[in-house]
Amino acid sequence: MVTKYVISLFLIAFCSSSLADSCQNPQVEAASFTSLDATVVTQIAYITEFTLKCDNPLPENYALYAEVEGKPLTAARIGENKYQVSWTEEPAKARAGIHEIHVLDEEGWASLRRARRADPAATVSPLLAIQLQHPGSYSGPWVNSEILATGLSILVAYVALRNKSKILA
Amino acid sequence: MSGKGNKAFTKEEELLLQDFSRNVSTKSSALFYGNAFIVSAIPIWLFWRVHALEVTTSLVWFALVTGASTWLLALAYRNTKFQLKHRVAVRREDAVAREMSRKLADDKKMSRKEKDERILWKKNEVADYEATTYSIFYNNALFLTIVILSSFYLLRSFTPTVNYIVSLTAASGLLALLSTGTK
Repeated sequence: MVTKYVISLFLIAFCSSSLADSCQNPQVEAASFTSLDATVVTQIAYITEFTLKCDNPLPENYALYAEVEGKPLTAARIGENKYQVSWTEEPAKARAGIHEIHVLDEEGWASLRRARRADPAATVSPLLAIQLQHPGSYSGPWVNSEILATGLSILVAYVALRNKSKILA
Repeated sequence: MSGKGNKAFTKEEELLLQDFSRNVSTKSSALFYGNAFIVSAIPIWLFWRVHALEVTTSLVWFALVTGASTWLLALAYRNTKFQLKHRVAVRREDAVAREMSRKLADDKKMSRKEKDERILWKKNEVADYEATTYSIFYNNALFLTIVILSSFYLLRSFTPTVNYIVSLTAASGLLALLSTGTK
């Protein structure tokens, strides 16, 4: 009986501690970067850094996970309540526009995994969502400069030849 | 040139001779060589920045090729000018004569011969100027087109040094050769 009591006490303590561990009323401040020049890179990088503010103090090793368009990622802890989520994509697949990053804590991540096992399209409401704007990357000019130079010089040479034959006619 | 010409010729004959000679005045020659030098030196930039030709080790080649190309281009300018000048003179004859006659109509003191001489001189000047400028434009346009085509497409697989030497000498040589033709 005593053991049972102790166990239930432990459970309550655990639950309350886990409840206290999860972030209450999360507020986030994010800054992001994406590669804009695809001419010198083979992969487009997306990086977002955010500072998480909660009403309750967070434990030292509070882990966060992220999901972007079905891709699972881990948020790296880079400082006091500061996290970074980054991933890369092939330039051909990188689409311009807003990329939604769903950030989940350990608990949310576990429940998402569990839900996914039953239904691969399942979603769990995230702890917070960050929008990353990618304006599109530059992958070189439409017309190669040497083709442009060749075209223009041929045009000028044609005009010169035509006029000469006109004068000599 | 007419000042130190042969005394046996009259001024009119000298003008006529100058009109038909291949010789060009010093001013015209300077214009030709100056232009030819600039146009021959421009591809150095193309080969240095675009084809990644090492500048310091190729200075001798730059000097040699630019010199040869300048000479060949000036030759092409001269020959093309000679070809064009007569045709330009024929085309401008009437207009120049009309304009000069109108200008000189008020001058009662001037003899008919003097007026004709003036018209002939003006005609020569106009034809010379137009043929010179057109010859420079024509040869520059063809030279740069040949250089671009050969350096980017025909000789793409060669080393930049070979590409530079062959492209420039071929372009200027071809123009000099073509300019010696009758048409």
